[in-house]
Amino acid sequence: MMEMTIFGRGGQGGVTLAKLIATTYFREGKYVQAFGVYAAERSGAPLQAFVRIDDEEITNHNQIREPDHVVVIDRTLIGRHIASGLKPAGWIILNTPDAPAAFAEMFPGRQVATVDATEIAVANGLGTKAVPIVNTTMLGAIARILGLPVEQVEGALSYAKFGGPNLKAARQAAQAVRMQTLKGRAAAVAPGAPKGPVAGILDDVVGGMPTIRTGSWASRRPERQRFTPPCNHGCPAGNDVRGFLEAVARDQDYTKALEIILQTSPLPGICGRVCPAPCMEACNRSDYDEAVNIREVERYIADHGRWPEATPPTRKERIAVVGSGPAGLSATYHLARLGYPVTLIEAGDELGGVLRTGIPTYRLPRDVLGREINHIVRHGVEVQTGRRVGRADLLELSHSFAAVFVATGQQENRALNLQNLEPGVVEQGIDFLDRVRKGQESLKGAHVVVVGGGNTAMDAARSARRIGAASVRILYRRTRQEMPAIAEEVEEAIEEGIELQELVLPVRLTKDSLGAVLTCQRMKLGEPDESGRRRPVPDESEDAWFDVRCDRVLLALGQVSDLTILPEGSAVHEKDKESALLGWTGAPVFTGGDLVTNEGTVTAAIGSGRRAAWHIHRTLTGEDLFPEEGPPVAEPRILHMHIFEHAPRERPAMLRPEDRRTSFREVRLGFIDEPAHHAALLEAQRCFSCGVCNECDRCLTHCPEGILLRERDGYRFDYDYCKGCGVCSTQCPRGVIYMAEL
Amino acid sequence: MARALVTGNHAAGYALSVAGEANRQARGCAAGAYPITPQTEIIEYLRSFAFTKGYIVPVESEHSAMGVCIGASLAGARAMTASSANGLAYMNENVFAAGYYRLPIIMIAVNRTLGPPWNIWVDQGDSLSLRDAAWMQFYTESHQDLVDTILVAFRVAEDHRVLLPALVALDGFVVSHTQMVVDLPEQQLVDRYLPPCHVPHQVSYEHPVTVGGLTWPRETEHHRIEVQRAMEQVPQVLSEATEEFVKVFGRRPHTALSCEYTEDAEVVLIACNTMVRTLRNVVKERRAKGEKIGLIKEKLFRPFPRAELRAALKNVKKVGVLDRNHSPGSGGIFWQEVTTSLQGHSDVLVQDYLVGLGGGDVTPAIINDIIDDLYRRKQAAEPVWKEVVA
Repeated sequence: MMEMTIFGRGGQGGVTLAKLIATTYFREGKYVQAFGVYAAERSGAPLQAFVRIDDEEITNHNQIREPDHVVVIDRTLIGRHIASGLKPAGWIILNTPDAPAAFAEMFPGRQVATVDATEIAVANGLGTKAVPIVNTTMLGAIARILGLPVEQVEGALSYAKFGGPNLKAARQAAQAVRMQTLKGRAAAVAPGAPKGPVAGILDDVVGGMPTIRTGSWASRRPERQRFTPPCNHGCPAGNDVRGFLEAVARDQDYTKALEIILQTSPLPGICGRVCPAPCMEACNRSDYDEAVNIREVERYIADHGRWPEATPPTRKERIAVVGSGPAGLSATYHLARLGYPVTLIEAGDELGGVLRTGIPTYRLPRDVLGREINHIVRHGVEVQTGRRVGRADLLELSHSFAAVFVATGQQENRALNLQNLEPGVVEQGIDFLDRVRKGQESLKGAHVVVVGGGNTAMDAARSARRIGAASVRILYRRTRQEMPAIAEEVEEAIEEGIELQELVLPVRLTKDSLGAVLTCQRMKLGEPDESGRRRPVPDESEDAWFDVRCDRVLLALGQVSDLTILPEGSAVHEKDKESALLGWTGAPVFTGGDLVTNEGTVTAAIGSGRRAAWHIHRTLTGEDLFPEEGPPVAEPRILHMHIFEHAPRERPAMLRPEDRRTSFREVRLGFIDEPAHHAALLEAQRCFSCGVCNECDRCLTHCPEGILLRERDGYRFDYDYCKGCGVCSTQCPRGVIYMAEL
Repeated sequence: MARALVTGNHAAGYALSVAGEANRQARGCAAGAYPITPQTEIIEYLRSFAFTKGYIVPVESEHSAMGVCIGASLAGARAMTASSANGLAYMNENVFAAGYYRLPIIMIAVNRTLGPPWNIWVDQGDSLSLRDAAWMQFYTESHQDLVDTILVAFRVAEDHRVLLPALVALDGFVVSHTQMVVDLPEQQLVDRYLPPCHVPHQVSYEHPVTVGGLTWPRETEHHRIEVQRAMEQVPQVLSEATEEFVKVFGRRPHTALSCEYTEDAEVVLIACNTMVRTLRNVVKERRAKGEKIGLIKEKLFRPFPRAELRAALKNVKKVGVLDRNHSPGSGGIFWQEVTTSLQGHSDVLVQDYLVGLGGGDVTPAIINDIIDDLYRRKQAAEPVWKEVVA
């Protein structure tokens, strides 16, 4: 009979190695026996496995105490004790990078074989670098020492369904194993006996935590990391989207959620209505079912949270803000919150800029606009409306204020050359919208064409519909997919009976006896341009031309900045969008918003305004409020999405299309609470909280060792007992816990 | 016969599966399945077996696992399950129900110490705690013994002279997790060996009945007597089933008890499970030295084969019982049975040795110690605790 003892740790495959050795001999017609002495610990605990090989039936079921050979598969277990009971001619087979001679002192007079099975296993991709599985590799080395042909080992591995890398590793180990009989006289090693008295059942150590520090077995340990949630990263206004969703999801605390938003944005009710929501585009949940409806939750928060009291100015340095669009409002708000007395100057009759003139009331009711502007103004802001600031005025302001912020937006409308332009037919959409706002327009029975694909085009088309147009048709030179307008707006426009014609370019407007005729050319999509969208190119075929009869043409082709307010020769650099203008004699003048960024959204303007406020504050005080760069963005692959339950997105209530066509009532009504169905809460609870711990306790409840402790600011791992099993990490839905190699 | 290298759990799972599959021409088979160390691989094996007509029902507890078996058996299926230790304790109520309903269910008990404190290693206290549950109990010493006993147990349990469930026990880890060479009988031989299962009190749409209603003391007493009579039939039915086994499989399985070297023995040791194998090796060595020593392998524990035991110990002077179990306040449970069997029939000295409790490795050295102790004894004493080192 040949008997062999294998020393390893739970989870390393020692028992499987015993079975593989047995299988190799079984296939040669031998009687065999393979078993392990399992520890109560499932991973990391030192364990022994045994193999018996005989020509006769094996009737011995005892553990092996006088082995013919011993094998150690975990190098941390190598010690004198492993030679206990080993027969004089027995081999000591070790997984170690060291040569046999390195063990001259530990195992004098013994036959020692060494092989770096860990390196071979890792090189062959067996297990992971942290927990390499070395059993099949060791089998190759053992076979070489026992004189087993490599074909027999390969046969056994195939029989046991171990694949290619295992065969290769075994073959490499058989080659690489180094064997040597060490000098000296082999000394008998006494078997280890249990030490100390046996504890009684009433003794508190019985059945309690093991007194061995099992943490010393770990090769990896859990640690926590933080990522930037993609929503936060994607929000141009810089909102802590995840944070305000959590305030709702955990405590339904809309006031706290509002406070979180107001840290960065003064216009939550506005963004909750008109924002194109890049956060939702970035939302990882869209990889699972549907992105969280962040915009609607933000709106709900703004409409249901308690708005805080405004604080009065505390500083002396007066600051002028020119332009009361979203960038100017944002800068005003953030400067006022920093304690500066701000004078807000607006050319129009009322504050709000494009929020008031460019966005129809059915998308942004005036009371919401008023509420949010008033909240800003209450911070001791001096308002000057009806004052248009020119270049000379700006110079004057720079002498009477400590700093000036210019955010006059884009006032120049892009035009379209329709050749024989008929007066009274073609008009800029933005001017049209302002007149509609003032109640100065009617299009009863008119056939209207809108040219463009942005939000202004949608607004003009939908407003035209509301003031009685018989038909409204949007012409766009690319396709719906390339439209810069918010997708929902396009959808809502179509619901309201507006016709969308893609890949069309109006070329010429003429007039005949029946009225105006717009001649158009069809387009097709070519190569992508610098914006990444495919460039429209004219379709040169004969039938690519057609006429559209119309009474009114509204142009919504975008605006460009009017830089004449700025000092002559001042250049605005893309990289330094909100920086001070240099070479100016007065106080520093800063610019921001669409005037310089050309980003075209309320949310981008809010971010620009806030950064301008920080720039001004830093210039005036030296204090830097710009945050350091955050951690990397939480990508979908770091999450364990399968842990989450699928849940459909909550959708807002809508005005019915037939009720919209004649009314400027708000179209989107937001989340409506029903008994036992609180949409905002349900929607906030859909948030994955990507890469940020929200104390869900899943790690705590899944830790098989009970070594996770809840602390005031999260969790603590008791590394004295953590064996590095990794369950907490695989159970963390958010990718916060990772396994660090030791 | 297919010779295989498998663990004890794999062998048990295989035997249950082919026995279940053998009933495919009748009502098929079913198992309630709930995991517990060290038997989990058995129900995993069952779950992976491609039955022609069989259902393995995962449930939420051992109590329900036996509930599934009871329902399936009442519906005429060949029913089976497996459990261990605290699982058997939790199952307890339904174990009794199966016995008193006279349902021929087979349960594998992989012996494991009953906690607390937590201990996963072998100790027969778990299955022996079910000794009064109207089940047959078999204790097996090896992989081969296990496979053979499972097949025999189905045949005996389903015999209409018996109609009792049977528990087949094996050592946790020492057998369950040890890979050894074993002959696994092919399906067609098992088909020959096991006739279709017919439960005479099977319920059906055609024959609706209520099971388990109220009975009066007089009836209950009658049912107890019926169970006792059925138990008394077991030795005869087991003997027939063993002979049939030899015919079909060409191999003789162990019977109720195996007497080895007892004919001229003055000292006999009694044991079961893998301890028997160690004991056998020790006895062989001592015999070779001329000692008049023998052994009895006790396989059938319920019904306890009293008459056979008395006959085997007729001329023996001293008996040592090795008990890997402990009935607190009394002693070893096999020892109780042995002394009860001999009461009034013999003056033989019977000494109990409690050994290997909680999974200790019972080595030849320990057994030699016990034999030396027995040789020295002039009279029996209270059960002796024979502590093991590892």
